[in-house]
Amino acid sequence: MFVSKSMTKKVITINKDADIFEAKEKMAEHRIRHLPVVTRDYHLIGIVSDRDIRSAMPSKALSDYNSKKMRAKIAKLKIKDIMTIDPVSISPLHTIQDALVIIQKIRVGAFPVVDEKGKLRGIISVRDLLRAFINVIGIEDPGILMCIVVEEKLGQMKKIVDAITEERISFGSIMVARCWDEGKRAVFPYLLTQNITSLKRKFQKMGYEVLDPMKWYIDQMPKND
Amino acid sequence: MKKTGFLFDERYLLHDTGSYHPEVPARLQAVYQGIKEAGLLSELTLIHARLSDLKWIEAVHDKEYIKRFEMACLTGNSTFDCPDNQICPATYETALLAVGGILDATRLVMNAEIDNAFCAVRPPGHHAEINKAMGFCYFNNVAIAARYLQKEWGIKRAGIVDFDVHHGNGTQHIFEDDPTVFYYSIHQHPSFAYPGTGREFEEGEGAGLGFTKNSPVLPGKGDKEYKRLIKRDLFPAFESFKPEVIIVSTGFDSHVDDDMSDIKLSTEAFSWIIKSLVEMADKYSNKRLISILEGGYSLKRLPELAKNHVEILLNHK
Repeated sequence: MFVSKSMTKKVITINKDADIFEAKEKMAEHRIRHLPVVTRDYHLIGIVSDRDIRSAMPSKALSDYNSKKMRAKIAKLKIKDIMTIDPVSISPLHTIQDALVIIQKIRVGAFPVVDEKGKLRGIISVRDLLRAFINVIGIEDPGILMCIVVEEKLGQMKKIVDAITEERISFGSIMVARCWDEGKRAVFPYLLTQNITSLKRKFQKMGYEVLDPMKWYIDQMPKND
Repeated sequence: MKKTGFLFDERYLLHDTGSYHPEVPARLQAVYQGIKEAGLLSELTLIHARLSDLKWIEAVHDKEYIKRFEMACLTGNSTFDCPDNQICPATYETALLAVGGILDATRLVMNAEIDNAFCAVRPPGHHAEINKAMGFCYFNNVAIAARYLQKEWGIKRAGIVDFDVHHGNGTQHIFEDDPTVFYYSIHQHPSFAYPGTGREFEEGEGAGLGFTKNSPVLPGKGDKEYKRLIKRDLFPAFESFKPEVIIVSTGFDSHVDDDMSDIKLSTEAFSWIIKSLVEMADKYSNKRLISILEGGYSLKRLPELAKNHVEILLNHK
Protein backbone atom coordinates (compact mmCIF):
# COMPACT_ATOMS: atom_id res chain seq x y z
CA MET A 1 0.00 0.00 0.00
CA PHE A 2 3.00 2.30 0.01
CA VAL A 3 3.89 4.91 -2.56
CA SER A 4 7.39 3.43 -2.64
CA LYS A 5 5.97 0.26 -4.19
CA SER A 6 3.83 1.90 -6.90
CA MET A 7 6.07 4.80 -7.91
CA THR A 8 8.38 4.93 -10.90
CA LYS A 9 11.93 4.85 -9.57
CA LYS A 10 13.82 5.78 -12.74
CA VAL A 11 12.92 9.45 -12.96
CA ILE A 12 13.92 11.63 -15.88
CA THR A 13 15.02 14.93 -14.41
CA ILE A 14 16.35 18.25 -15.65
CA ASN A 15 18.74 20.90 -14.44
CA LYS A 16 17.48 24.39 -13.57
CA ASP A 17 19.85 25.99 -16.07
CA ALA A 18 18.76 23.89 -19.04
CA ASP A 19 16.79 25.61 -21.80
CA ILE A 20 13.20 24.80 -22.59
CA PHE A 21 13.97 23.07 -25.89
CA GLU A 22 15.91 20.50 -23.92
CA ALA A 23 12.90 19.99 -21.65
CA LYS A 24 10.59 19.66 -24.64
CA GLU A 25 12.84 17.03 -26.23
CA LYS A 26 13.15 15.03 -23.03
CA MET A 27 9.39 14.94 -22.58
CA ALA A 28 8.82 13.87 -26.18
CA GLU A 29 11.54 11.24 -26.11
CA HIS A 30 10.34 9.59 -22.90
CA ARG A 31 6.63 10.32 -23.43
CA ILE A 32 6.21 12.00 -20.05
CA ARG A 33 4.59 15.23 -18.98
CA HIS A 34 6.50 16.15 -15.83
CA LEU A 35 10.19 16.76 -15.23
CA PRO A 36 11.38 17.16 -11.64
CA VAL A 37 14.11 19.79 -11.38
CA VAL A 38 16.98 18.60 -9.19
CA THR A 39 20.37 19.78 -8.00
CA ARG A 40 23.51 17.85 -8.68
CA ASP A 41 23.01 15.77 -5.56
CA TYR A 42 19.44 15.01 -6.40
CA HIS A 43 17.67 17.47 -4.16
CA LEU A 44 14.28 18.45 -5.50
CA ILE A 45 13.93 22.19 -6.12
CA GLY A 46 11.07 22.39 -8.58
CA ILE A 47 9.01 20.74 -11.25
CA VAL A 48 8.27 21.66 -14.85
CA SER A 49 5.28 20.29 -16.73
CA ASP A 50 4.38 20.24 -20.41
CA ARG A 51 1.86 22.97 -19.63
CA ASP A 52 4.64 25.21 -18.42
CA ILE A 53 6.49 24.55 -21.66
CA ARG A 54 3.47 25.30 -23.79
CA SER A 55 2.79 28.53 -21.91
CA ALA A 56 6.34 29.65 -22.60
CA MET A 57 6.14 28.97 -26.35
CA PRO A 58 4.85 31.67 -28.67
CA SER A 59 1.34 31.37 -30.03
CA LYS A 60 1.00 29.85 -33.50
CA ALA A 61 -1.18 32.85 -34.30
CA LEU A 62 1.96 34.97 -34.55
CA SER A 63 3.41 34.99 -38.05
CA ASP A 64 6.98 34.67 -36.84
CA TYR A 65 6.35 32.13 -34.09
CA ASN A 66 8.95 29.74 -35.48
CA SER A 67 11.47 32.19 -36.85
CA LYS A 68 15.18 32.05 -36.04
CA LYS A 69 14.84 35.26 -34.03
CA MET A 70 11.93 33.89 -32.03
CA ARG A 71 13.72 30.61 -31.35
CA ALA A 72 16.78 32.46 -30.13
CA LYS A 73 14.59 34.43 -27.76
CA ILE A 74 12.96 31.27 -26.39
CA ALA A 75 16.33 29.56 -26.01
CA LYS A 76 17.29 32.26 -23.53
CA LEU A 77 14.50 31.09 -21.21
CA LYS A 78 15.77 28.67 -18.64
CA ILE A 79 13.93 26.02 -16.67
CA LYS A 80 14.38 28.03 -13.51
CA ASP A 81 12.31 30.82 -15.14
CA ILE A 82 9.26 28.70 -15.82
CA MET A 83 9.31 25.90 -13.23
CA THR A 84 7.06 25.59 -10.18
CA ILE A 85 9.30 26.08 -7.21
CA ASP A 86 8.90 23.80 -4.20
CA PRO A 87 6.17 21.63 -5.69
CA VAL A 88 3.78 19.43 -3.74
CA SER A 89 5.59 16.20 -3.07
CA ILE A 90 4.88 12.99 -1.22
CA SER A 91 6.97 10.67 0.90
CA PRO A 92 7.78 7.09 -0.10
CA LEU A 93 6.20 6.03 3.17
CA HIS A 94 2.88 7.61 2.37
CA THR A 95 0.25 5.15 1.29
CA ILE A 96 -1.43 5.07 -2.07
CA GLN A 97 -4.65 6.10 -0.36
CA ASP A 98 -2.82 9.23 0.84
CA ALA A 99 -1.75 9.83 -2.74
CA LEU A 100 -5.35 9.44 -3.92
CA VAL A 101 -6.65 11.95 -1.39
CA ILE A 102 -4.02 14.51 -2.35
CA ILE A 103 -4.54 14.05 -6.08
CA GLN A 104 -8.28 14.61 -5.57
CA LYS A 105 -7.67 17.88 -3.77
CA ILE A 106 -4.79 19.34 -5.77
CA ARG A 107 -5.23 19.07 -9.48
CA VAL A 108 -1.93 17.65 -10.60
CA GLY A 109 -1.24 14.55 -12.65
CA ALA A 110 1.91 13.42 -10.88
CA PHE A 111 3.94 13.97 -7.68
CA PRO A 112 7.61 13.76 -7.09
CA VAL A 113 8.38 11.36 -4.24
CA VAL A 114 10.90 12.86 -1.86
CA ASP A 115 12.50 11.38 1.26
CA GLU A 116 12.98 13.12 4.62
CA LYS A 117 16.31 14.53 3.41
CA GLY A 118 14.65 16.21 0.44
CA LYS A 119 16.16 13.84 -2.11
CA LEU A 120 14.12 12.71 -5.09
CA ARG A 121 13.28 9.01 -4.86
CA GLY A 122 10.75 8.59 -7.62
CA ILE A 123 7.61 9.94 -9.20
CA ILE A 124 4.01 8.73 -8.83
CA SER A 125 1.34 9.58 -11.35
CA VAL A 126 -2.39 9.10 -11.70
CA ARG A 127 -1.55 6.22 -14.05
CA ASP A 128 0.42 4.41 -11.33
CA LEU A 129 -2.52 4.78 -8.94
CA LEU A 130 -4.95 3.48 -11.56
CA ARG A 131 -2.78 0.45 -12.11
CA ALA A 132 -2.70 -0.32 -8.40
CA PHE A 133 -6.46 -0.06 -8.12
CA ILE A 134 -7.21 -2.03 -11.28
CA ASN A 135 -5.25 -4.81 -9.65
CA VAL A 136 -7.31 -4.52 -6.48
CA ILE A 137 -10.68 -4.35 -8.25
CA GLY A 138 -9.78 -7.34 -10.43
CA ILE A 139 -11.17 -5.98 -13.69
CA GLU A 140 -8.86 -8.23 -15.64
CA ASP A 141 -10.13 -11.53 -14.19
CA PRO A 142 -13.18 -13.04 -15.84
CA GLY A 143 -16.22 -12.67 -13.62
CA ILE A 144 -19.47 -10.84 -12.90
CA LEU A 145 -20.05 -7.68 -10.88
CA MET A 146 -23.17 -7.60 -8.75
CA CYS A 147 -24.75 -4.79 -6.79
CA ILE A 148 -26.62 -5.29 -3.54
CA VAL A 149 -28.12 -2.39 -1.62
CA VAL A 150 -28.06 -2.91 2.13
CA GLU A 151 -28.91 -0.93 5.22
CA GLU A 152 -26.08 0.64 7.15
CA LYS A 153 -26.24 -1.98 9.90
CA LEU A 154 -23.56 -4.08 11.52
CA GLY A 155 -23.26 -7.60 10.19
CA GLN A 156 -24.60 -7.03 6.66
CA MET A 157 -21.29 -7.79 4.99
CA LYS A 158 -20.95 -11.10 6.80
CA LYS A 159 -24.42 -12.18 5.63
CA ILE A 160 -23.52 -11.33 2.03
CA VAL A 161 -20.18 -13.11 2.16
CA ASP A 162 -21.76 -16.17 3.81
CA ALA A 163 -24.43 -16.35 1.11
CA ILE A 164 -21.78 -16.21 -1.61
CA THR A 165 -19.60 -18.81 0.11
CA GLU A 166 -22.56 -21.18 0.50
CA GLU A 167 -23.00 -21.09 -3.27
CA ARG A 168 -19.32 -22.10 -3.51
CA ILE A 169 -18.48 -19.04 -5.58
CA SER A 170 -15.04 -17.43 -5.54
CA PHE A 171 -14.51 -13.76 -4.78
CA GLY A 172 -12.51 -11.51 -7.07
CA SER A 173 -13.00 -8.42 -4.92
CA ILE A 174 -15.62 -6.43 -3.03
CA MET A 175 -16.24 -2.72 -3.31
CA VAL A 176 -18.52 -0.72 -1.08
CA ALA A 177 -19.97 2.59 -2.16
CA ARG A 178 -20.60 4.43 1.06
CA CYS A 179 -22.23 7.48 -0.42
CA TRP A 180 -25.56 6.03 -1.38
CA ASP A 181 -29.18 6.75 -0.41
CA GLU A 182 -29.95 7.79 3.17
CA GLY A 183 -28.95 5.04 5.58
CA LYS A 184 -27.93 2.70 2.80
CA ARG A 185 -24.77 1.37 1.19
CA ALA A 186 -24.19 -0.39 -2.09
CA VAL A 187 -22.00 -3.48 -1.99
CA PHE A 188 -20.37 -4.56 -5.25
CA PRO A 189 -18.97 -8.09 -5.04
CA TYR A 190 -16.95 -9.11 -8.10
CA LEU A 191 -17.49 -12.85 -8.46
CA LEU A 192 -15.32 -15.23 -10.43
CA THR A 193 -18.10 -17.20 -12.00
CA GLN A 194 -20.46 -17.13 -14.93
CA ASN A 195 -23.44 -18.30 -12.97
CA ILE A 196 -25.17 -16.09 -10.38
CA THR A 197 -28.81 -16.94 -11.02
CA SER A 198 -29.40 -18.84 -7.78
CA LEU A 199 -27.29 -16.36 -5.82
CA LYS A 200 -29.48 -13.48 -7.01
CA ARG A 201 -32.58 -15.39 -5.86
CA LYS A 202 -30.95 -16.07 -2.50
CA PHE A 203 -30.26 -12.36 -1.92
CA GLN A 204 -33.80 -11.46 -2.85
CA LYS A 205 -35.13 -14.07 -0.39
CA MET A 206 -32.89 -12.55 2.27
CA GLY A 207 -34.65 -9.24 1.66
CA TYR A 208 -31.78 -7.48 -0.08
CA GLU A 209 -32.26 -5.32 -3.11
CA VAL A 210 -30.28 -6.67 -6.04
CA LEU A 211 -29.91 -3.58 -8.11
CA ASP A 212 -30.52 -3.43 -11.85
CA PRO A 213 -27.10 -2.78 -13.43
CA MET A 214 -28.44 0.25 -15.26
CA LYS A 215 -29.10 1.88 -11.90
CA TRP A 216 -25.60 1.42 -10.48
CA TYR A 217 -23.98 4.69 -9.66
CA ILE A 218 -20.67 4.22 -7.87
CA ASP A 219 -19.56 7.80 -8.27
CA GLN A 220 -21.91 9.51 -5.81
CA MET A 221 -19.23 11.61 -4.09
CA PRO A 222 -19.63 15.34 -4.59
CA LYS A 223 -17.62 16.48 -7.59
CA ASN A 224 -15.43 19.60 -7.48
CA ASP A 225 -17.50 21.17 -10.25
CA MET B 1 -34.98 -26.29 -49.43
CA LYS B 2 -31.39 -26.59 -48.35
CA LYS B 3 -29.50 -29.72 -47.37
CA THR B 4 -28.89 -29.33 -43.63
CA GLY B 5 -26.83 -31.57 -41.40
CA PHE B 6 -27.78 -32.12 -37.75
CA LEU B 7 -25.08 -33.30 -35.34
CA PHE B 8 -26.37 -34.88 -32.17
CA ASP B 9 -25.17 -37.82 -30.10
CA GLU B 10 -26.51 -39.38 -26.90
CA ARG B 11 -22.95 -39.52 -25.62
CA TYR B 12 -22.95 -35.72 -25.28
CA LEU B 13 -25.29 -36.25 -22.34
CA LEU B 14 -22.60 -38.14 -20.43
CA HIS B 15 -20.73 -34.97 -19.40
CA ASP B 16 -22.13 -34.63 -15.89
CA THR B 17 -21.84 -31.21 -14.26
CA GLY B 18 -23.48 -32.13 -10.95
CA SER B 19 -26.71 -30.94 -9.37
CA TYR B 20 -26.28 -27.18 -9.10
CA HIS B 21 -24.97 -26.32 -12.52
CA PRO B 22 -26.88 -24.69 -15.36
CA GLU B 23 -24.97 -26.46 -18.17
CA VAL B 24 -26.89 -29.74 -17.91
CA PRO B 25 -27.60 -32.64 -20.28
CA ALA B 26 -31.30 -31.68 -20.19
CA ARG B 27 -30.46 -28.64 -22.35
CA LEU B 28 -29.40 -30.86 -25.20
CA GLN B 29 -32.38 -33.10 -24.74
CA ALA B 30 -34.63 -30.04 -24.95
CA VAL B 31 -32.93 -28.98 -28.20
CA TYR B 32 -33.29 -32.47 -29.67
CA GLN B 33 -36.94 -32.83 -28.60
CA GLY B 34 -37.80 -29.49 -30.17
CA ILE B 35 -36.38 -30.60 -33.51
CA LYS B 36 -37.83 -34.12 -33.31
CA GLU B 37 -41.33 -33.06 -32.32
CA ALA B 38 -41.49 -30.63 -35.22
CA GLY B 39 -40.99 -33.65 -37.50
CA LEU B 40 -37.72 -32.26 -38.85
CA LEU B 41 -35.44 -35.27 -38.31
CA SER B 42 -36.46 -36.94 -41.56
CA GLU B 43 -35.47 -33.83 -43.54
CA LEU B 44 -32.03 -33.54 -41.95
CA THR B 45 -28.79 -35.35 -42.68
CA LEU B 46 -28.10 -36.90 -39.29
CA ILE B 47 -24.50 -36.83 -38.14
CA HIS B 48 -23.16 -38.81 -35.21
CA ALA B 49 -20.14 -38.04 -33.13
CA ARG B 50 -16.76 -39.66 -33.34
CA LEU B 51 -13.59 -39.01 -31.39
CA SER B 52 -11.51 -36.25 -32.91
CA ASP B 53 -7.93 -36.90 -33.92
CA LEU B 54 -5.75 -35.18 -31.28
CA LYS B 55 -3.88 -33.31 -34.01
CA TRP B 56 -6.89 -31.01 -34.49
CA ILE B 57 -7.16 -30.24 -30.81
CA GLU B 58 -3.42 -29.50 -30.84
CA ALA B 59 -3.96 -27.09 -33.70
CA VAL B 60 -5.46 -24.74 -31.10
CA HIS B 61 -4.59 -25.93 -27.58
CA ASP B 62 -1.24 -26.57 -25.90
CA LYS B 63 -0.31 -30.27 -25.67
CA GLU B 64 0.31 -29.84 -21.96
CA TYR B 65 -3.17 -28.41 -21.43
CA ILE B 66 -4.78 -31.36 -23.23
CA LYS B 67 -2.88 -33.82 -21.06
CA ARG B 68 -3.80 -31.93 -17.89
CA PHE B 69 -7.46 -32.07 -18.86
CA GLU B 70 -7.31 -35.78 -19.56
CA MET B 71 -5.56 -36.43 -16.25
CA ALA B 72 -8.08 -34.35 -14.30
CA CYS B 73 -10.91 -36.50 -15.66
CA LEU B 74 -9.04 -39.77 -15.14
CA THR B 75 -8.15 -38.89 -11.55
CA GLY B 76 -11.80 -38.22 -10.77
CA ASN B 77 -11.47 -34.50 -9.98
CA SER B 78 -14.75 -32.61 -9.75
CA THR B 79 -13.56 -29.34 -11.31
CA PHE B 80 -10.89 -28.35 -13.81
CA ASP B 81 -9.08 -25.00 -13.91
CA CYS B 82 -11.91 -23.08 -12.25
CA PRO B 83 -14.92 -23.81 -10.02
CA ASP B 84 -17.39 -23.14 -12.87
CA ASN B 85 -15.90 -26.02 -14.85
CA GLN B 86 -17.42 -29.12 -13.27
CA ILE B 87 -16.18 -32.39 -14.74
CA CYS B 88 -16.79 -36.11 -14.44
CA PRO B 89 -14.68 -39.02 -15.75
CA ALA B 90 -16.53 -38.92 -19.13
CA THR B 91 -15.94 -35.22 -19.75
CA TYR B 92 -12.65 -35.48 -21.66
CA GLU B 93 -14.06 -38.04 -24.07
CA THR B 94 -17.28 -36.07 -24.51
CA ALA B 95 -15.26 -33.00 -25.42
CA LEU B 96 -13.32 -35.06 -28.00
CA LEU B 97 -16.61 -36.35 -29.40
CA ALA B 98 -17.93 -32.82 -29.72
CA VAL B 99 -14.93 -31.75 -31.77
CA GLY B 100 -14.96 -34.94 -33.86
CA GLY B 101 -18.63 -34.53 -34.75
CA ILE B 102 -18.13 -30.88 -35.64
CA LEU B 103 -15.20 -31.70 -37.92
CA ASP B 104 -17.31 -34.32 -39.70
CA ALA B 105 -20.11 -31.79 -40.17
CA THR B 106 -17.56 -29.31 -41.52
CA ARG B 107 -16.16 -31.86 -43.95
CA LEU B 108 -19.65 -32.62 -45.29
CA VAL B 109 -20.25 -28.91 -45.85
CA MET B 110 -16.93 -28.45 -47.64
CA ASN B 111 -17.60 -31.52 -49.80
CA ALA B 112 -20.94 -29.93 -50.71
CA GLU B 113 -22.79 -32.99 -49.43
CA ILE B 114 -24.75 -30.57 -47.26
CA ASP B 115 -25.16 -26.78 -47.48
CA ASN B 116 -25.07 -26.04 -43.77
CA ALA B 117 -25.23 -27.77 -40.40
CA PHE B 118 -26.41 -27.36 -36.82
CA CYS B 119 -24.14 -29.04 -34.26
CA ALA B 120 -25.99 -29.64 -30.98
CA VAL B 121 -23.00 -30.36 -28.78
CA ARG B 122 -21.86 -30.29 -25.19
CA PRO B 123 -19.65 -29.09 -23.65
CA PRO B 124 -19.58 -25.59 -25.22
CA GLY B 125 -16.30 -24.05 -26.39
CA HIS B 126 -16.00 -20.32 -26.93
CA HIS B 127 -14.55 -19.39 -23.51
CA ALA B 128 -11.77 -22.02 -23.72
CA GLU B 129 -8.34 -20.42 -24.16
CA ILE B 130 -5.23 -22.06 -25.61
CA ASN B 131 -4.19 -23.35 -22.19
CA LYS B 132 -7.09 -22.63 -19.86
CA ALA B 133 -10.57 -24.02 -19.36
CA MET B 134 -13.25 -21.58 -18.21
CA GLY B 135 -16.93 -20.69 -18.44
CA PHE B 136 -18.07 -24.33 -18.82
CA CYS B 137 -15.79 -24.73 -21.88
CA TYR B 138 -12.83 -27.11 -22.40
CA PHE B 139 -11.95 -27.34 -26.09
CA ASN B 140 -12.73 -24.35 -28.26
CA ASN B 141 -14.96 -26.14 -30.77
CA VAL B 142 -15.42 -23.16 -33.09
CA ALA B 143 -11.72 -22.27 -33.13
CA ILE B 144 -10.77 -25.85 -33.92
CA ALA B 145 -13.27 -25.91 -36.80
CA ALA B 146 -11.75 -22.70 -38.17
CA ARG B 147 -8.19 -24.07 -37.94
CA TYR B 148 -9.36 -27.30 -39.61
CA LEU B 149 -10.81 -25.26 -42.46
CA GLN B 150 -7.57 -23.33 -42.84
CA LYS B 151 -5.24 -26.32 -42.74
CA GLU B 152 -7.26 -29.07 -44.39
CA TRP B 153 -9.31 -27.06 -46.86
CA GLY B 154 -7.04 -24.09 -47.53
CA ILE B 155 -9.70 -21.58 -46.49
CA LYS B 156 -8.25 -18.07 -46.63
CA ARG B 157 -11.16 -16.15 -45.11
CA ALA B 158 -13.22 -17.73 -42.34
CA GLY B 159 -15.91 -15.60 -40.70
CA ILE B 160 -16.94 -16.39 -37.11
CA VAL B 161 -20.15 -14.87 -35.71
CA ASP B 162 -20.72 -15.36 -31.99
CA PHE B 163 -24.17 -14.38 -30.74
CA ASP B 164 -24.03 -16.18 -27.41
CA VAL B 165 -24.78 -13.56 -24.75
CA HIS B 166 -21.27 -13.95 -23.27
CA HIS B 167 -18.22 -12.69 -25.14
CA GLY B 168 -16.18 -15.52 -26.68
CA ASN B 169 -12.88 -14.52 -25.11
CA GLY B 170 -11.20 -17.79 -26.12
CA THR B 171 -12.10 -17.54 -29.78
CA GLN B 172 -11.18 -13.87 -29.97
CA HIS B 173 -7.77 -14.40 -28.34
CA ILE B 174 -6.93 -17.41 -30.49
CA PHE B 175 -7.42 -15.41 -33.71
CA GLU B 176 -6.53 -11.98 -32.37
CA ASP B 177 -3.54 -11.54 -34.68
CA ASP B 178 -4.86 -13.59 -37.60
CA PRO B 179 -6.22 -11.56 -40.52
CA THR B 180 -7.61 -14.68 -42.21
CA VAL B 181 -10.24 -15.23 -39.51
CA PHE B 182 -12.76 -12.48 -38.76
CA TYR B 183 -14.24 -12.74 -35.27
CA TYR B 184 -17.49 -10.89 -34.58
CA SER B 185 -19.30 -11.05 -31.24
CA ILE B 186 -22.44 -9.42 -29.87
CA HIS B 187 -22.84 -9.89 -26.13
CA GLN B 188 -23.81 -8.29 -22.85
CA HIS B 189 -21.50 -5.42 -21.98
CA PRO B 190 -18.33 -6.66 -20.19
CA SER B 191 -18.79 -4.26 -17.29
CA PHE B 192 -22.01 -6.10 -16.47
CA ALA B 193 -21.38 -9.68 -17.55
CA TYR B 194 -18.98 -12.60 -17.66
CA PRO B 195 -16.21 -12.82 -18.81
CA GLY B 196 -15.49 -9.09 -18.70
CA THR B 197 -13.94 -8.89 -22.18
CA GLY B 198 -15.29 -7.83 -25.56
CA ARG B 199 -15.11 -4.07 -25.37
CA GLU B 200 -15.63 -1.98 -28.48
CA PHE B 201 -11.97 -1.02 -28.63
CA GLU B 202 -10.82 -4.64 -28.96
CA GLU B 203 -10.35 -4.84 -32.71
CA GLY B 204 -7.48 -7.27 -33.14
CA GLU B 205 -3.71 -7.10 -32.73
CA GLY B 206 -0.82 -6.74 -35.11
CA ALA B 207 -1.64 -8.25 -38.48
CA GLY B 208 -5.10 -9.08 -37.15
CA LEU B 209 -6.01 -5.47 -36.42
CA GLY B 210 -9.36 -4.78 -38.04
CA PHE B 211 -10.40 -8.44 -38.11
CA THR B 212 -12.12 -8.52 -34.73
CA LYS B 213 -15.31 -6.61 -33.96
CA ASN B 214 -17.28 -6.46 -30.74
CA SER B 215 -20.78 -5.11 -30.14
CA PRO B 216 -21.31 -4.87 -26.37
CA VAL B 217 -24.97 -4.46 -25.34
CA LEU B 218 -26.13 -2.81 -22.13
CA PRO B 219 -28.30 -4.85 -19.72
CA GLY B 220 -32.04 -4.59 -20.31
CA LYS B 221 -31.73 -4.10 -24.07
CA GLY B 222 -33.42 -6.39 -26.61
CA ASP B 223 -34.42 -6.88 -30.21
CA LYS B 224 -34.15 -3.29 -31.40
CA GLU B 225 -30.63 -2.80 -30.08
CA TYR B 226 -29.42 -6.17 -31.38
CA LYS B 227 -30.72 -5.50 -34.87
CA ARG B 228 -29.25 -1.99 -34.87
CA LEU B 229 -25.81 -3.19 -33.82
CA ILE B 230 -25.68 -6.21 -36.12
CA LYS B 231 -26.67 -4.02 -39.07
CA ARG B 232 -24.17 -1.34 -38.08
CA ASP B 233 -21.23 -3.56 -37.14
CA LEU B 234 -21.50 -7.02 -38.71
CA PHE B 235 -23.07 -6.45 -42.12
CA PRO B 236 -20.47 -3.96 -43.42
CA ALA B 237 -17.62 -5.97 -41.90
CA PHE B 238 -18.63 -9.14 -43.75
CA GLU B 239 -19.45 -7.19 -46.91
CA SER B 240 -15.84 -6.12 -46.92
CA PHE B 241 -14.31 -9.39 -45.63
CA LYS B 242 -16.39 -11.74 -47.82
CA PRO B 243 -15.91 -14.92 -45.76
CA GLU B 244 -15.58 -18.17 -47.69
CA VAL B 245 -17.29 -20.03 -44.83
CA ILE B 246 -19.32 -18.76 -41.87
CA ILE B 247 -18.98 -20.49 -38.50
CA VAL B 248 -21.55 -19.53 -35.89
CA SER B 249 -21.23 -19.74 -32.12
CA THR B 250 -24.95 -20.18 -31.46
CA GLY B 251 -26.09 -19.24 -27.96
CA PHE B 252 -29.69 -18.86 -26.88
CA ASP B 253 -28.89 -17.29 -23.52
CA SER B 254 -29.80 -13.76 -24.56
CA HIS B 255 -33.46 -14.78 -24.54
CA VAL B 256 -35.67 -12.74 -22.18
CA ASP B 257 -36.60 -15.96 -20.33
CA ASP B 258 -33.01 -17.10 -19.88
CA ASP B 259 -31.69 -16.32 -16.40
CA MET B 260 -28.05 -16.20 -17.40
CA SER B 261 -28.17 -12.66 -18.70
CA ASP B 262 -30.00 -9.34 -18.46
CA ILE B 263 -30.61 -9.18 -22.21
CA LYS B 264 -34.22 -9.47 -23.34
CA LEU B 265 -34.33 -10.95 -26.82
CA SER B 266 -37.60 -12.37 -28.12
CA THR B 267 -37.87 -15.76 -29.84
CA GLU B 268 -38.39 -13.95 -33.16
CA ALA B 269 -35.12 -12.05 -32.78
CA PHE B 270 -33.17 -15.29 -32.90
CA SER B 271 -34.91 -16.18 -36.14
CA TRP B 272 -33.94 -12.78 -37.55
CA ILE B 273 -30.32 -13.32 -36.55
CA ILE B 274 -29.88 -16.75 -38.11
CA LYS B 275 -31.82 -15.69 -41.21
CA SER B 276 -29.42 -12.78 -41.69
CA LEU B 277 -26.46 -15.11 -41.31
CA VAL B 278 -27.88 -17.61 -43.81
CA GLU B 279 -28.40 -14.74 -46.27
CA MET B 280 -24.80 -13.67 -45.86
CA ALA B 281 -23.64 -17.24 -46.35
CA ASP B 282 -25.71 -17.41 -49.54
CA LYS B 283 -24.19 -14.15 -50.74
CA TYR B 284 -20.50 -14.62 -49.83
CA SER B 285 -19.82 -18.20 -48.83
CA ASN B 286 -21.56 -20.39 -51.36
CA LYS B 287 -24.22 -21.16 -48.68
CA ARG B 288 -21.59 -22.71 -46.38
CA LEU B 289 -22.51 -22.16 -42.73
CA ILE B 290 -21.76 -24.28 -39.66
CA SER B 291 -23.77 -23.44 -36.55
CA ILE B 292 -22.32 -24.75 -33.28
CA LEU B 293 -24.22 -24.69 -29.99
CA GLU B 294 -22.67 -22.73 -27.12
CA GLY B 295 -24.99 -21.51 -24.31
CA GLY B 296 -28.75 -21.30 -23.78
CA TYR B 297 -30.18 -22.43 -20.46
CA SER B 298 -33.95 -22.00 -20.53
CA LEU B 299 -35.25 -25.57 -20.78
CA LYS B 300 -38.67 -24.06 -21.50
CA ARG B 301 -37.57 -22.05 -24.54
CA LEU B 302 -34.86 -24.24 -26.04
CA PRO B 303 -37.18 -26.60 -27.97
CA GLU B 304 -38.85 -23.80 -29.93
CA LEU B 305 -35.60 -21.87 -30.43
CA ALA B 306 -33.86 -24.97 -31.77
CA LYS B 307 -36.78 -25.80 -34.07
CA ASN B 308 -36.86 -22.29 -35.52
CA HIS B 309 -33.10 -22.30 -35.96
CA VAL B 310 -33.11 -25.54 -37.93
CA GLU B 311 -36.15 -24.57 -40.03
CA ILE B 312 -34.31 -21.48 -41.17
CA LEU B 313 -31.17 -23.47 -42.00
CA LEU B 314 -33.38 -25.81 -44.04
CA ASN B 315 -34.89 -22.75 -45.72
CA HIS B 316 -38.45 -23.77 -44.91
CA LYS B 317 -40.97 -21.31 -46.29
